[in-house]
Amino acid sequence: MPRRVVITSVGVVSSLGFSVDEIISRLKQKEIYLQRPSFDQDVVTCPVPSFDIKAFTGRFKNARYLNRGAQFCVASAMAAIKDAGFDEKPLSEAGLFVGVGPNLDISNECPQTRSGKIDSNALKALWILRFVPNTAASIISALAGIHGESLTLGTACTASLQAIGEAFRKIKDAYLDIALAGGGDSRLSQGGILAYRKAQALFSAKGDPEREYAPFDKNRNGFVPGEGGAFFLLEELEHARNRGANILVEICGSGSSMDGHSMTAPEPYGKWPEAAVVAALNEAQRSPDEIDVVSAHGTGTFLNDEMEATLIDRLYTKNRPKVIALKSWIGHISAACGAVELAVLLGCLKEGYLPEIRNLKEACHGRVNFVRQETNDSFNTIIIENFGFGGQNSALVIRKWNKSQ
Amino acid sequence: MDILTTIKDHLAEILDIEAEEITLETYLVRDLGVESIDFLELAVAFNSSLGIEIEDDEIFLANLRLYLKEAKEGKSDIVSYLAQKYPSLAKERLKQILQDLDDGPVLKVKDLVSYVSFRCQEG
Repeated sequence: MPRRVVITSVGVVSSLGFSVDEIISRLKQKEIYLQRPSFDQDVVTCPVPSFDIKAFTGRFKNARYLNRGAQFCVASAMAAIKDAGFDEKPLSEAGLFVGVGPNLDISNECPQTRSGKIDSNALKALWILRFVPNTAASIISALAGIHGESLTLGTACTASLQAIGEAFRKIKDAYLDIALAGGGDSRLSQGGILAYRKAQALFSAKGDPEREYAPFDKNRNGFVPGEGGAFFLLEELEHARNRGANILVEICGSGSSMDGHSMTAPEPYGKWPEAAVVAALNEAQRSPDEIDVVSAHGTGTFLNDEMEATLIDRLYTKNRPKVIALKSWIGHISAACGAVELAVLLGCLKEGYLPEIRNLKEACHGRVNFVRQETNDSFNTIIIENFGFGGQNSALVIRKWNKSQ
Repeated sequence: MDILTTIKDHLAEILDIEAEEITLETYLVRDLGVESIDFLELAVAFNSSLGIEIEDDEIFLANLRLYLKEAKEGKSDIVSYLAQKYPSLAKERLKQILQDLDDGPVLKVKDLVSYVSFRCQEG
């Protein structure tokens, strides 16, 4: 019998709340949280308000080495462990898989840079740790007592979905019985926004962003950057059953690929993104017709949405699955987008609820079944797609958990 | 701001504890759990806020065990030998330290205060 992998707890930090239930409630109320940053009134961001990592961890001195994205990793990881309801620390043999982004907060990290000289009294002795990618993993490991196999992934916007996929594979292939996986990211600093602006990837309409950020619309013109993090406890099914864990969802398949095409633009036909999606479907032993919902990458950039809509139309030809774009609600959380989107989807599965793609008026593709009004139907199988800078592609298939399975 | 308050504030910030928990008699390692990276951060913080160049060994007694060995090998008087190495510490304090060695790292907040006061007078 092949080993099966389930998710048994979730921790999330997002612009719409610090729990899955809170996020779903906000979605239903049509509440989103957008802000024009003080340093650049031309752009729109989707920040996490009132975030204090110590509310998730208690006091600990090494918090000083966490950049904001890493703080979201640690906070959501500790929330996932709390959600698992362990009596003690049973994670010594657990694996740890973390998707992270770069620290682009240049102006705050090097506040006195002049003529290339960046040293100042304000810099910490171990300032380097705010840039080293595995600082979040190191701190999660210390706080949670995790000592198993660990990887930190820096694969752009697919990083956290791939982290979850890697944890899934390690458990499925019997290297581990239990693992914590997810990611966190924040690029809303001046440096982060500058980077995205120069790449001309940001939503730039002057009007009301609440009404205009529109993935998959013909008039889409870029994404709203967000921030946050989410982590999950993954367990081998019998391991979860034996400890009486609360099984939320089964992970059925994972896939990834590289475009080998452009540094930023997706390959237009979507041949290699399709390969990642098909790999995930094959591992899940599902045909495209058995997918009920596609949680699209759906950034709202011209090129991504064109490629992705074409891919969805080409692949899912019989039962047209419902297509949602969660970035229209929580922004594009870069390396953490897949993890936070999975957290939202756990709530959608539980409630049989799908939010509409916000502001979608004229779809960029006629045959794709975009969700234009919220729905309250039961559904079982979801594929999550994330595509990233550098031609990184990833997909993950999840299925609603029924006790009889 | 006086030296003790400055030192307590840095300790509180770097270790994420309350300044009120710290007294002159508080042990850095035994009571506050200070580890090597924290000494690095403390040195950076003291350098910038006190305007003196901190010698890590002198302020944190980093080479204390080495000096004890040297004094023994050289058949020197231990207190006199340590007094040369740590001129900021009074002989009475050095005698206390020698009696306290078996219970773990001896460094107290008052030793940091002595060092900073000594260096400020010197400069």
